[in-house]
Amino acid sequence: MDTDSTAVADSADENTPAGAAPVAARSTATGSDVVIETRNLSKIYKDFWGRKKVHALKSLDIEVRKGEIFGLLGPNGSGKSTTIKLILGLLFPTSGRVLVFDKDATETKKNEQIGYLPEESYLYQFLNAEETLDFYGRLFDMSGRQRKQRVEELLTLVGLQGARHRQLREYSKGMRRRVGLAQALINDPDLILLDEPTTGLDPIGIREMKDLILALRDQGKTILLCSHQLGDVQDVCDRVAILHQGELKELGRVTDLLKVQDVTEVHASGLSEEAKNEIREVIARHGADLKSMDNPTATMEDLFLNIVRESEARPGARRVSATASDEPAADEPAADEPAADEPAADEPAADASAADGSQAGSDKS
Amino acid sequence: MNLQPDDFWTFSEWLFRPGAFLESAFLQGVVLIVLAIVLGLLVGYVISAARYGPGEGFYAVARAIRDLLRTDLPGTSPSRIVALARLAFKEAIRRRVLFVVGLFVVILLLAGWFLNPESDDPARLYISFVLTATNYLVLALALFISAFSLPQDIENRTIYTIVTKPVRATEIVLGRMLGFVAVGTVMLIPMGLASYIFVDRGLDHTHYGVVEANEIDGRIVGKTDRVRKHQHTFTIEAGETQGLTNFVRGHRHVVTRLDDGSFTIGPPTGQLRARIPSYGEIQFYDRNGDPKDSGIDVGAERLAGGYGSAGISRLIGVAKGNRKLEHSYVEGGTLGMAEFTFDNVTRQRFPDKIPFDLSIRAYRSFKGDIESGIRGSLTFKNPDTGFSLTPKQFTVEEYQIDERELPLTFEWLNKETGEVETRNVFDYVVTEDGRMQILLKCLDSSQYLGVTKSGLYLRPAESSFAWNLTKAYGSIWLQMTMIIAFGVMFSTFLSGPVAMVATAVCVLLGFSAESIYDTRHFIDSNIERGGGPIESLVRLVKQDAMTTQLDVEGVANTLIKSADAVIVYTMDAVATALPNLPRMVSTAEYAASGIDIFNAVLARHSVATLGYCLLAFLISYFFLKAREIAA
Repeated sequence: MDTDSTAVADSADENTPAGAAPVAARSTATGSDVVIETRNLSKIYKDFWGRKKVHALKSLDIEVRKGEIFGLLGPNGSGKSTTIKLILGLLFPTSGRVLVFDKDATETKKNEQIGYLPEESYLYQFLNAEETLDFYGRLFDMSGRQRKQRVEELLTLVGLQGARHRQLREYSKGMRRRVGLAQALINDPDLILLDEPTTGLDPIGIREMKDLILALRDQGKTILLCSHQLGDVQDVCDRVAILHQGELKELGRVTDLLKVQDVTEVHASGLSEEAKNEIREVIARHGADLKSMDNPTATMEDLFLNIVRESEARPGARRVSATASDEPAADEPAADEPAADEPAADEPAADASAADGSQAGSDKS
Repeated sequence: MNLQPDDFWTFSEWLFRPGAFLESAFLQGVVLIVLAIVLGLLVGYVISAARYGPGEGFYAVARAIRDLLRTDLPGTSPSRIVALARLAFKEAIRRRVLFVVGLFVVILLLAGWFLNPESDDPARLYISFVLTATNYLVLALALFISAFSLPQDIENRTIYTIVTKPVRATEIVLGRMLGFVAVGTVMLIPMGLASYIFVDRGLDHTHYGVVEANEIDGRIVGKTDRVRKHQHTFTIEAGETQGLTNFVRGHRHVVTRLDDGSFTIGPPTGQLRARIPSYGEIQFYDRNGDPKDSGIDVGAERLAGGYGSAGISRLIGVAKGNRKLEHSYVEGGTLGMAEFTFDNVTRQRFPDKIPFDLSIRAYRSFKGDIESGIRGSLTFKNPDTGFSLTPKQFTVEEYQIDERELPLTFEWLNKETGEVETRNVFDYVVTEDGRMQILLKCLDSSQYLGVTKSGLYLRPAESSFAWNLTKAYGSIWLQMTMIIAFGVMFSTFLSGPVAMVATAVCVLLGFSAESIYDTRHFIDSNIERGGGPIESLVRLVKQDAMTTQLDVEGVANTLIKSADAVIVYTMDAVATALPNLPRMVSTAEYAASGIDIFNAVLARHSVATLGYCLLAFLISYFFLKAREIAA
């Protein structure tokens, strides 16, 4: 894949190894469907004396189109946050340009259509949730009635009605994240930038966040998110750009990037043992190589969410299933309501293997 | 209180200085703003050129100006400013700045132990104490809240969620400034009330009884007891039950005689004043009776001070020398005198009497009769006809305001008829157009009386002390606003502590402006007064006196002097550009002296504050705009 032109569908044929020069000819498509466009964007951090410290971003060219979820992926220090800050005008490019809604990124006016959830929710600790949202509403020149209504909607959306009068300093990390999200949505933005949206959330929160992101996309909003939680990116993003040390290494549709071309996966239920053997024979007859034939395992996320849902439906001690281990640990989540404030449990372990395709399509078509 | 020439200016005189436009505040303001713009453009260009290259840098600067004029200023929304101001306000309040009000109350409570109500002028002591305490406390607070807020926001990155909303740099700056001004206002109000109560109650005292009372022809003359180391004499006229005591330490009491022959003494009155003075023009005459610009100097009156009123013309060297009003002395027993000419002496302004106050100094060239004070005389004279009343003799009371009055009628012996007529002052002593002269002479030969223009004034009206205190607090409020503006300005491009230090340096330079002007004046006119900073240091180390020649030979001498000149001239330019804070602080002196703070003075300070706030706002805007918030 060597281009990021609008014709994405056909770029999936090759699966270029990471590290190949990702950028070539620029497309001329500047139509209104391009929401963010970076042109040869570079950022060098300098120290006080103007000496070069870090080359954080090197000639980045990406386009984010209307209505898609675009993921910026990369290890720590790969330039994801720098990119987002450049898009927001929080940083000025060393060279190159960023256009947001066809305006320069440093223009204030573009912010009217933008919602931004920072890496950590940098909010005023001495305000409560309602005051916070009201304050950000005022910054959009919203009328009192509009603000009230919008604050109500958002508190419901992020599930913080119960904690609306508590100061943010008393909030758990997850709750702050929710307020942060709510403030990003206060103006019903067309473009939403999410910096590590799932950090600090528990699995339920992550699920809800992902559902919300998808729901926002379905409302026609454009979303740019950056994350190093690969599973999240895989689950929600339409297209991703993978950055490494400030360089764009890969860009394309998630489904295309993850498709392993010469492996075929079949999901079936109710197959008898004979039928399976027959299939093995068929595969052998065609000269193909059967790699595995197994009962699929669910992800930890699925298991966890199932247990929680079940526990909510039927509170009380849960009978540990025979297949599970003898530790009755699964009882715990039942005690809490879904908007549990506890810091996130460990992330589902499923994502690391995503790149090699063995799990492709397990969760989402 | 010794007023300086600029204190007498009306607002428009201050602004435009008719006849001496180089000295005008308007010119100074314009030059300052133009300089700031030119310097701003230069600095902006240098920074952007370093960042983007020389060509692109030019466009960056042009874009910043275009943005300000085309989008940011018109797009500035009051409701966003209010939202940000509310945030700044809440932030400060939640940081428990109101604690300072508590601290102030504690200071007042402790001050009760240390302020001596038995001093000569307790009202001055109390008033200047509360105003000074408030002033420095509020200025320190303004320094702290304004300098740390924005850097902290940037450090905590809470600013990210603000600048990614459609918030303009103008709104962030104005929001902060207004929010902090609101905090200061909320704190000044209780402090003002506490001050008023403290002064009012602290000066209150009661005399419990009368120690001596003699009745002569139905008229009772007596003495009160000694309370707080003073006592009063009083008179109750025949047939009256109430009388007044004399003025001691600026106050008097009402004494009432009860039916059983005992007396009750009321609370002190008249110590908290706000006199509205009406000044005249002063003309000195020397011992031969020839008119002179000033009287005799008895010390180094003319050496230092009072340059501030010359504005730019002093900086560029057009106006030279000081223009301080110091006491000028008239010699006793000669034709020397000080002649005051008052305008607008009308029946409307003085319906019952013509009250006037004396605030005069005495200089003894020999000890003389140590028991009695130096005597002077006052002659009321019609400047047109030359008609004058019999000179009124008085004894000088130094360092206090001697309140006197001229009755509207006087008795006149008509030489033709031989009868004594009762004549009206307005008909004979005051001219048709309302002018009147008072001649001040010293009666004791070889002794001297010192006055300035503000040493003798008519007092047509009186304002209330509470209102005067409010005005003094208004002046503190203006200083606070100015410091907040400077603090916010520095905090847009410096880190919190550095911004605070920078603001503090500005304040200190502003406060020491007169000394810097002095030093420059001495260097300019080759007066040995210690020289600039390096020379002073050398003198300190060598333990040389200030007024001797610098005891360093040859090249070193030249080096020291020229380095000093550079430093002093630079400091002079900076200090001229900074607000004249000592002038604003000195409004407290008006309140303490019981003189109504001139509205013109307050108006000048307001306009100056507004100007500096505008300047700080513009500078803040460009710095914030040019700053990478996330860097």
